[in-house]
Amino acid sequence: MMNEELYIKNRLGDRNPFRVPEGYFDSLTAEVMKNLPEQPKQSILVRFRPWMYAAACLVAVVFTATLYLLTPDSSEQMMAADATTTDTYVEDVADYMMADNNDIYALLASEY
Amino acid sequence: MTDDRLLIEQLSNPKTQRRAFETVVRQYSEQLYWQIRRFVLSHDDANDVLQNAFIKAWQGIGSFHGDSKLLTWLSRIAINESLDFLRRQKNVVTLSTDDEELNVSNTLMADEYFDGDETEAQLQEAIAALPEVQRTVFLLRYYDDMKYSDISNMLGTSEGALKASYHIAVKKISEFFKSHD
Repeated sequence: MMNEELYIKNRLGDRNPFRVPEGYFDSLTAEVMKNLPEQPKQSILVRFRPWMYAAACLVAVVFTATLYLLTPDSSEQMMAADATTTDTYVEDVADYMMADNNDIYALLASEY
Repeated sequence: MTDDRLLIEQLSNPKTQRRAFETVVRQYSEQLYWQIRRFVLSHDDANDVLQNAFIKAWQGIGSFHGDSKLLTWLSRIAINESLDFLRRQKNVVTLSTDDEELNVSNTLMADEYFDGDETEAQLQEAIAALPEVQRTVFLLRYYDDMKYSDISNMLGTSEGALKASYHIAVKKISEFFKSHD
């Protein structure tokens, strides 16, 4: 203990010079509990948690729907690709055979 | 499981928290009252500040996760409430009057709930004149014999800074009385 602290303790002591009204501590707990709100305040995070979940779901649904609607349909894409491939193929074959459309029609008519 | 841990568990459950809080009040209210009383000095003010401190603790129960002892957490709230009260009171007194009669030792000697003599009233006046941190560390060390580590947890100030503040506070008070000897 430092000298000054010893001086204060010896000179003044450390007794409690305060007192309370008679029976104050007996009724204190009841008094405190009476003044408390029914429920403790919830943090903003806890209070709005259900709304935050709902908002997150909504955002997910909107995002998925937007993505789905803005992306071209894959089957259409495939059909378009197929049509392009077929046309190109027929033209290549016709060029190779040195035949034009009239030759092809004539060929088909002669067969059937 | 210690009492504190059981209480903390019950405080986190909405079904048991009010009853658990009542146990907390019963267990710690007297100790907190005396901590507050040494700051604010009058019984009526200490009672008001204590009630407010418990309301704050109840409102903030969701933010207490048992990282510190219950008493440390409650003491922090009680001390902050006491210091807030003193700041507000200081503003009101400064605005309303500079009357010499309102000095701390005279007010205490006229207080029916003060049992001390004039020297003890002067000690309270010397403590009241200290800056906030020096006053807080002095009260908690001198009267409650609280460890620096606990005060450090409570106030969020380093132990070194607290030791320095306590040393300065003790020096100021002893010089005050030595000059009156």
